[in-house]
Amino acid sequence: MLPQKMKKAITDNPKQLANLIDLVNLPSTLRDFVGQSQISHLGCFMRVWSYIKTNNLKDPNNKNVVNCDEKLKSILLGKQQVELVELPALIKLHFPKQKKFP
Amino acid sequence: MGKFPPSFRSAISSTSLIKNTPSQQQQQPHYFPKKLTKKNSPKPHETQTPPPQKSLFKTSSLNEAKSLFNSFISTTKAPLLDNLRLHNSFLQSYTSISTLDDSISLLDHMVKTLPSLSPDRSTYHVLLSQSCREPDSPLSSAQKVLNLMVNKGFKPNQFTVDVAIRSLCSVGRVDDAILLVKEFSSKHSKPDTFTYNFLVKCLCKSRIFNSVYSFIDEMKSSFDIKPDLVTYTILIDNVCNAKNIREADRLVAVLKECGLKPDAFLYNTIMKGYCLLNKGIEAVRIYKQMKEEGVEPDLVTYNTLIFGLSKCGRVSEAKKLLKIMVESGHFPDAVTYTSLMNGMCREGDALGAAALLEEMELKGCSPNSCTYNTLLHGFCKGRMLNKGVELYGVIKKGGMKLETASYATFVRALCREGRVAEAYEVFDYAVESKSLTDVAAYTTLESTLKWLKKAREQGLAV
Repeated sequence: MLPQKMKKAITDNPKQLANLIDLVNLPSTLRDFVGQSQISHLGCFMRVWSYIKTNNLKDPNNKNVVNCDEKLKSILLGKQQVELVELPALIKLHFPKQKKFP
Repeated sequence: MGKFPPSFRSAISSTSLIKNTPSQQQQQPHYFPKKLTKKNSPKPHETQTPPPQKSLFKTSSLNEAKSLFNSFISTTKAPLLDNLRLHNSFLQSYTSISTLDDSISLLDHMVKTLPSLSPDRSTYHVLLSQSCREPDSPLSSAQKVLNLMVNKGFKPNQFTVDVAIRSLCSVGRVDDAILLVKEFSSKHSKPDTFTYNFLVKCLCKSRIFNSVYSFIDEMKSSFDIKPDLVTYTILIDNVCNAKNIREADRLVAVLKECGLKPDAFLYNTIMKGYCLLNKGIEAVRIYKQMKEEGVEPDLVTYNTLIFGLSKCGRVSEAKKLLKIMVESGHFPDAVTYTSLMNGMCREGDALGAAALLEEMELKGCSPNSCTYNTLLHGFCKGRMLNKGVELYGVIKKGGMKLETASYATFVRALCREGRVAEAYEVFDYAVESKSLTDVAAYTTLESTLKWLKKAREQGLAV
């Protein structure tokens, strides 16, 4: 059945899991936003999403769009407006795939 | 989605719990039975120790334990001092952190300082269970305790076997357990059926079936300990979980040869096996066979059948069975209805399933979170998103958890309609209510959004 399969897919793929929860050294732009020097991919997403929620940045006319303030703009490619659909992809940009260690 | 009712499992595992009541009281009239229940299940046994004593021992140092005991008897009132149970639990909490030799020395010290204290069988059982619970110690340490026990005039009996076997199995020393059981059977006393079945159950978990069979054969030929119905049920359950139904059929034939009569539990186990393999028809065959033999089907039988039939798409038969079930005086519970709803949702009849929910509530059977999740899944699959959102409101209000499948389907359905903000809200709820791990919830959301973006680029979605 589906749930077991999906669970399995996640646990079977430790690399994907690791990519999401491993702490990563942040570039300076992100460091300013997060306020710490290391964070995981998942943690970063949660942080941005809760930032949007606490500051009420969602567009009142279209709930699927976020109006960025200056701080948010700095980490989301300087866009004025960001669609919620794009959000995970935009955050992923900060967490490029790790190259194999030489 | 349709899960097996927990009663399936308990049908088998509860046997070890049933054991304590009848057999013990016959043999040990005092407070002893209570003492033994403590040790029969090695895990609760630590938690049952009185809380102040638990924090008594901060180090495993023997000297400190001795001085603690001295201060303990000097501050305790006289009538309490005669209570052997108190001393036993004192010793017991020390054993949980110390080595066996230290525990034995402590017992010596206790007897010396308090001459009125005479250790009884359960005192030695405490030591025995410690010696068996040490993961890497050889079997000789258990034998040492046994010798000590025999020297004091306590012949090992069935409880001794039980304590030893359960302790050994709890740390995974199954090989030692087999050795010890054989030794006991030849020297002292045979294990009773509960100990025996417990050991078989442990063996099934860690061994291949052939070695389990050879153990059973050996016990039968050397010590005349025959497998009973429970043993066979355990075997069949494990065989079925390994999806080996043919072997289960063979086992049924074998047990009938032995003159045992299959009961409802056993049939339920086989049916469960067929349902796992999506063979609802075969399960019905077993049901008929069961009726022919005059075994009365119980609630679990009907639940299994309805679940199995729903799962392989024979909802109309499942509905008929529900009627039969009610006519024969059983009350369908949440599991029954959820299984049936699952089947209806699979057929795309989510509205029918919703009607069933109302009927169920009308009859005073309260739905559980599994019911709601099944229905939510059904609504989303049947493209009735608004109904799904309504139901999600109920789930949220009731503080119920979302299941992985229904969460994923719901998020996908919301995104398909372009209601991304709501999908984010569902994500928040899933994380908040700890329904899923953050990672699972996020990967689902991420992949759904990725998919949506792609679809939009191709001009497919809103």
